[in-house]
Amino acid sequence: MMETLAKVAFAVYTLLILGGGCIAVGAHSLVRAMVGLISSLLGVAGMYMLMAAPFMAFMQILIYVGAVCVLIFFAIMLTQADDHGVEAGNRRPGKSALSALIFITPVFVIGFILVKFQPASIDIPVEVPLVEIGKGLLEDYPVAFELISVVLLAAMAGAVLLAFEQKGKKGRKAS
Amino acid sequence: MSPLLMYQLVALLLLAIGLYGIVWRKSLVGMLISVELMLNGAGMSIVSASQLTEAGSAVGQIAALFVMGLAAAEATLVLAIIIVVAKRFKSVDTDAITKLKG
Repeated sequence: MMETLAKVAFAVYTLLILGGGCIAVGAHSLVRAMVGLISSLLGVAGMYMLMAAPFMAFMQILIYVGAVCVLIFFAIMLTQADDHGVEAGNRRPGKSALSALIFITPVFVIGFILVKFQPASIDIPVEVPLVEIGKGLLEDYPVAFELISVVLLAAMAGAVLLAFEQKGKKGRKAS
Repeated sequence: MSPLLMYQLVALLLLAIGLYGIVWRKSLVGMLISVELMLNGAGMSIVSASQLTEAGSAVGQIAALFVMGLAAAEATLVLAIIIVVAKRFKSVDTDAITKLKG
């Protein structure tokens, strides 16, 4: 019974991820693309739940859906990308064929290797207690943990500097 | 089909969609969305590889957390760059942004 439920949940999440991804890539309106991206992210969070990693699922929703998506909404708002904007315009002929060509090679290579060399898989994953993740972060990999904080700080400071760059230099020639 | 393979294939499809999108999209914001899709595929692949094999599960989750942190940092910087480009060129169309300083 539980196994069937898990399979149904996997199918639903897969549909959510792939459908959302297709909308995120194909929609003409960028806001609709963002809705697709959010549904795709929620599907991935569900996959984390299925993999018995609920902490990752919560972090996924908190960081991606809560923070990154709002950031991208700000980007859409600040660049005034609307329905009749850049994305709605015609593309060069053959561009979708070119795009398809780009992903076919790496995906088929990776997919072939995945199917050919399958490692042994555990059927029922075990949930890791949060204590172990915290210990891993602070005892086994403290340098990486500190570095990511520095990277985040540098990114925030850099973003503020970049965004306010032109305020102080009004005299400089634009574009 | 083992559970690990199914999760990995879904992650691979996310990578495929992202790769398709990053070439097909015309605006910088659309490309950013595609990059987020690809990073999600990477995170899912890492977590599934650590949860569903004998490898240490905590390490995989820590790695995926780092991916999320880097994605957040990258999104902030790209947002700032998009704002600067939009101010200077009055457009975020990648075909229009062709001028180099000099």
